[in-house]
Amino acid sequence: MAANGVKRRKLEHTSSDDGDVVSFASFGATEEEVAEPAGNAGQDKTLEAVDDGDERLGDEEEEGFGDHEGDEQDLERFANHSEEDRGDVEIDVRDGGRFPKGKPAEPGAEQQRQDRAEGTRVRKTASELGTYLAGTSRSNIFKLQVDELLEQIRPRRGKREEAAEKALHSLKKILDQMPARGPLSVSDAEQQFLISGKVIIPFAEPTPPKDAKYKFAFASPSSVNVVGSYALKTSPRSREAVEIDMMVNMPAALFEEKDYLNYRYFYKRAYYLACLAESILDKSTYDTRFVDLHDDQMKPVVVVSPRTPLDTEDEIKPTPRWRINIIPSVGAEVFSKDKITPGRNCIRTTGDTKAGPTPFYNSSLRANMLTPSYLKVLHHAASTCDGFRDACLLGSTWLRQRGYSARISEGGFGNFEWSTLIALLLQGGGSNGKPMLSEGYSSYQLFKATLQVLALRNLSKSALVVGNADTKPTGDGTPMLWDALRAHNVLYKVTPWAYAQLRQDARSSLAMLGDQLFDGFDAAFILRTDGPLLQNDYLVNIPVTTMPAHRGSYHKLFDALKRGLGDRVSLVTMKTAPSMSWQPGSLRSKSTPDTSISIGLIVNPETVNRTVDHGPPAEDKAEAASFRTFWGEKAELRRFKDGSITESLVWSTSEAGQTVLEQVVRFLLSRHVGRDAEQNASFVGNGFVRLLPQGTSTTAYQPLMEAYKQLETDIRGLEGMPLSVRHITPADPQLRYCSIRPPSDTGGRKRPSPANVVIQFEASTRWPDEVIAIQRTKIAFLLNISELLQEAKAAVTARVGLENQEDESLNQAYLDIIYESGAAFRMRIHHDREQILLERQLKDKSLAPSSREGTARALAAYKRDYIKLPAHTQAVARLCSRYPALSGTVRLLKKWFASHLLASHIAEEVIELIAVRAFVQPWLWQTPSSVQTGFLRALHWLARWDWRAEPLIVDLSGTGELRAADVQSIKTRFEAWRKLDPSLNRIVTFAASSLDQDGTTWTDGRPQRVVAGHMTALAKAACAEVQEKQVALEPASLFASPLRDYDFVLHLDPALRGGKKRAGATNGTTFKNLELAAEDDESMIGFDAAQLLLGKLEFSYGSAVVFFAGGRERPVIAGLWSPQTAPRNWKMNLAYSTIPRKVRSKEEEESVTAEINKDAILAEIARLGGDLVESIERDMP
Amino acid sequence: MVPMPPSHPPIPQTINDFTILPLHIPPLPSFPRETTHYLYLRPNAPKLPTETTPRELFLVNVPVDATETHLRALFAEQLGGARVESVGFEGAQRTRGRGITGPVAVGTASGRGKKRKRGEMGEGEVGAEGREVGGLPEVYEREVRASGGTAVVAFVDRASAEMAVREVRRAVRSGRRVVWDAGVEGKVPALGLAGSRAEHALRYPDPAVLQQSVDDFMAAFSAQEAVRAKELARVRSVPDADGFVTVTRGARMVPAAREEDVEKVEESARKREKKKVGEDFYRFQVREKRKEEQLGLVRGFEEDQRRVEEMRRRRGKVRPE
Repeated sequence: MAANGVKRRKLEHTSSDDGDVVSFASFGATEEEVAEPAGNAGQDKTLEAVDDGDERLGDEEEEGFGDHEGDEQDLERFANHSEEDRGDVEIDVRDGGRFPKGKPAEPGAEQQRQDRAEGTRVRKTASELGTYLAGTSRSNIFKLQVDELLEQIRPRRGKREEAAEKALHSLKKILDQMPARGPLSVSDAEQQFLISGKVIIPFAEPTPPKDAKYKFAFASPSSVNVVGSYALKTSPRSREAVEIDMMVNMPAALFEEKDYLNYRYFYKRAYYLACLAESILDKSTYDTRFVDLHDDQMKPVVVVSPRTPLDTEDEIKPTPRWRINIIPSVGAEVFSKDKITPGRNCIRTTGDTKAGPTPFYNSSLRANMLTPSYLKVLHHAASTCDGFRDACLLGSTWLRQRGYSARISEGGFGNFEWSTLIALLLQGGGSNGKPMLSEGYSSYQLFKATLQVLALRNLSKSALVVGNADTKPTGDGTPMLWDALRAHNVLYKVTPWAYAQLRQDARSSLAMLGDQLFDGFDAAFILRTDGPLLQNDYLVNIPVTTMPAHRGSYHKLFDALKRGLGDRVSLVTMKTAPSMSWQPGSLRSKSTPDTSISIGLIVNPETVNRTVDHGPPAEDKAEAASFRTFWGEKAELRRFKDGSITESLVWSTSEAGQTVLEQVVRFLLSRHVGRDAEQNASFVGNGFVRLLPQGTSTTAYQPLMEAYKQLETDIRGLEGMPLSVRHITPADPQLRYCSIRPPSDTGGRKRPSPANVVIQFEASTRWPDEVIAIQRTKIAFLLNISELLQEAKAAVTARVGLENQEDESLNQAYLDIIYESGAAFRMRIHHDREQILLERQLKDKSLAPSSREGTARALAAYKRDYIKLPAHTQAVARLCSRYPALSGTVRLLKKWFASHLLASHIAEEVIELIAVRAFVQPWLWQTPSSVQTGFLRALHWLARWDWRAEPLIVDLSGTGELRAADVQSIKTRFEAWRKLDPSLNRIVTFAASSLDQDGTTWTDGRPQRVVAGHMTALAKAACAEVQEKQVALEPASLFASPLRDYDFVLHLDPALRGGKKRAGATNGTTFKNLELAAEDDESMIGFDAAQLLLGKLEFSYGSAVVFFAGGRERPVIAGLWSPQTAPRNWKMNLAYSTIPRKVRSKEEEESVTAEINKDAILAEIARLGGDLVESIERDMP
Repeated sequence: MVPMPPSHPPIPQTINDFTILPLHIPPLPSFPRETTHYLYLRPNAPKLPTETTPRELFLVNVPVDATETHLRALFAEQLGGARVESVGFEGAQRTRGRGITGPVAVGTASGRGKKRKRGEMGEGEVGAEGREVGGLPEVYEREVRASGGTAVVAFVDRASAEMAVREVRRAVRSGRRVVWDAGVEGKVPALGLAGSRAEHALRYPDPAVLQQSVDDFMAAFSAQEAVRAKELARVRSVPDADGFVTVTRGARMVPAAREEDVEKVEESARKREKKKVGEDFYRFQVREKRKEEQLGLVRGFEEDQRRVEEMRRRRGKVRPE
């Protein structure tokens, strides 16, 4: 092995078996040194090919530069990537989420891309700037952010690294000086350790038989190396600790040929490890513990970390700054690789000759033999492919943010698997054994291509083979990435459930990265998936103690759930309890009784509550039998209306207390796991639904929707109207399934709140040509409709009401139409001439500023009420029927806002946009399929929404009608507003949608900055609560809002708010009841005393007090004194009641200051409110 | 703030030329605390005095629930018995849709209940040439004032006004207890639930009344239109002293469509202009275009760098959570 250059070296054809080992001295030194002996066979062909490619690239690079003219020199880099990026753009377009789901990549595609990547001009210099995507601004931002991120997470050499390396050297010294031991029999070996009493051999279950013939021995290691991501610099810097893997190679002489059978190798390894642990304990002061490597019980390792001053048994000690894992391993040639392929059985029990294969055991053993080989593979990749290291850093960040790691309890797909996957795909895996990835790819391309492989290939169905072999997956759902050269399944410890989730995450990340409109950077690398509640619709927790102990039981549970739940769920995941570290002197720690495994379910909202399942038809004997065995007594043979006779299952409806899903899960648990597990299982996930009146289903809206259709036909059927009707459009939350309470829920009273409707007539020239006159003409029209309607329909009451009396440019009247069924509508007339007239007025230069403002306001109101609101209503209603969980999410979110007294500040439409955003831009997760996840994710986003610097932009079409140019113009508009109003006096939050690019329609003037800040703080608190409590979260706790943060609180008469009537009110009870009964009169429809009071208060004290109200959800109005009301020099025109006070300043000058007269104001409020206000509380504790 | 905590500085009796009148406010069940409201008064002195000015009093910081009745009672019963003629409030909620001032008096008078707007700050009085007609029915029984607002109280004569000022000063000096909201029970519309219900009922006026007010308005409106049209026609047809005819709106019959038409014509003209010579016809055009694109890229890149810089400044380092 001659000294090779890092780049462009032709490797000699050496056998991988030649046992070349990395010299110990290498760690801490430069990468070249580690790499030096990294000889690898079998890749010669690819490598040479790549080398050629490299040269070719180099040539072109020069040519490319030659092309440019002098004056364009400095533009060159920009021009360069815009050209080069064309290749990428194509990839991008293809990546953009449009590939058919579930279909494996077309065989040609990878090849094609690779050809392109090699064939087109891919220059290394190009990766300097903007190689990522086309030269659009968004991608540049993305790229700059990625660079910034890489800068932050790239491993650096710091104090803790130095300390760790010092420890490595001293450990190495200890290991080298260890005396040989043995050979000893099992009992002798145990005896020996018992006497010294420091270490108990960490045997795996089942422990070795006492009469075992084989002997345990120790000899000093044949080599000691630093391996893993630390040596390769492929793991991101983490805040917790530097983790270093140290491989201790056990001499081959200690093992016999048959040791691969029946755990014998692992027993010997455990003995060896115990010896290591003992001498480290003896000769060093480090904290030494045993831990199961990646939760694999067969492979315990010693973890050495600095001893912390407070050395307690507690797991919650201050995190050590570095950790060294000492991993005993054995040379790749010790056991024959053919004996331990995944298809063989290596655990033999006497008498059982037909035991099935033991893929996990075999691969676990094989993995232990291949540590150095994979180090070489990875190092080779790192030295030939420039983007490799960064792609690994990006990949491991991506994995970490989604909670994956190499530990089996966390999926078994970690840093190592990710980087090995890339490294192997750089060598092969494509069609005809060609590499799937090219070394010319930039780090981001490698990252994305790897995600694509994860997303598009189902490795548990068909194996991805690198090299020449014909390997099938094991069939138990474990993915198969077969490295033919090393005869190993790299993904052997990836659990089926984690793999399914990993693929799902890869898919949604790809869709996100392909999204041209929104920057997916944060969702890809910065945000964390944040716990099971945000990730899953339902969680089932089962105490570990009630589960059968063997490893296969989890798989069995998973299979049972997957089969039993079928299309009710789209994803089943499991989180098993991680193993704990333990002191060498004690036994392996058993999981504590309170640990539990957690099953996460992502449901399919359409099918989750289906009560009848159709199984196979009775004629299909085999299927039917299997169905019967699976479901036991639950399976029934039924005949259905269409004449078919099928095996079927019937569940009781959700009203019976348990949802159908819960019934199914509980049945499956008791049938396939055990009654004990079923009884102790806890079900989390339906809690939030109970907070909504009448549940999440939209059926409660049906009566109103039908009444609306009736209204439309009634109006269109009216005869004798002066103009014919062009449109009738809904414009109300109740008509888009978004009101907190469904319209049929009127608190037991016959007093619905009228739903707004807009009517437009055919154009006519007979309208007057002035806004004010138009408004009056509308009144005449409404009176006319009202009269005709009441004549035509006996069951309808209609009457005209007045509004906006303070500004005659605004709509002056509406028509309330009340059906006997209880449905009520409020109709306003839309006349499009208004807009033209108002716009013309605005253009008039001679207009006084005050009336210009009024005109602008009228124009905004016109656009809002007649154009945007109907469009918004239709779009949201459509989305509600597309996403079944949306309606409930919106309602829950509105309830949250109302409970925190923000209802009067945040427009309902903005809340709807926030909720819709969680569905159409779900990145980090998939589109929510339950109300709970929808709500929590909306809150999660709200807590992070930096409204000072970010506009809220939502595509309400749901079909990508929002174009990149639209987004750009919205952003430009947003920035213009920020420039115009940097102190956020008018526009604080900016909410735009595909239907409303202005962004200020719903947020002009409200919320104020203080309110928006309050909103963010509340959302943050809610998210913290979710994060802290996790499954123990009490849903109602998110809706409880203390009143002590306010300066004063008006407690309203609860009876007024449609709330529960007070029991046993002290005086005048009967009188009150009569009064309330009178309110149920039809003439009181639309009457909301509290809202009227709030309007009066805001009119009178708008600039001195910020009022908070919760609508019907909470009979409270709270207030905060504005900071503008601080004491100041007295002047006449202050907008609040004052107390004059004589103040003598230092210069003996007497002046009078004005102080806000809080008590008098509260007394005024008490007078204004009269009997509406029960009590006023001030000076909150 | 009664009783006054000793630490607070004293309340002056006057400020500038205002007399400070403390009004005692009796406690209510929902707010059982006796409070004091401070009303500032002075003889009215607007920049442009009118003939009624000498018998007017200017009030600042009027309680939000003040009505004419309240102030009448206050002066009549507690401050020497001066008789108030009328009160004009500033910053009152508008109680109804305004009417229209017809050029000619049109038939029925439905401009009832018209409030006298205060000359100083409110909108101007209805001009002398006609009366306001066609106002919409009132929707408030009782207006609410903006906090800290002002009012002008006009007394029946100058002597009453002077007496009122004297009386106020005397009350302030002697520390006499003047109580707000006294002596008006039953004379003013209620607030609270009953008030809200009445208000709600007012929003739905009798259709006949409403129809009448709309009819009045529209009649006056079309009369106004007719007069205006006539005037315009006259201007159009009569040359001025220099022999020029003023150009006015309304000469053509379809004025509404014109603006859009003009735009359309301009648009199509612009399009035609573009089509004349292809944008990439000459070599220099291509080169310039490319240059433009490159400059755009540079600008975009710099913009992005700025944005990322901004982001970093705002959020600190880019690190995974």
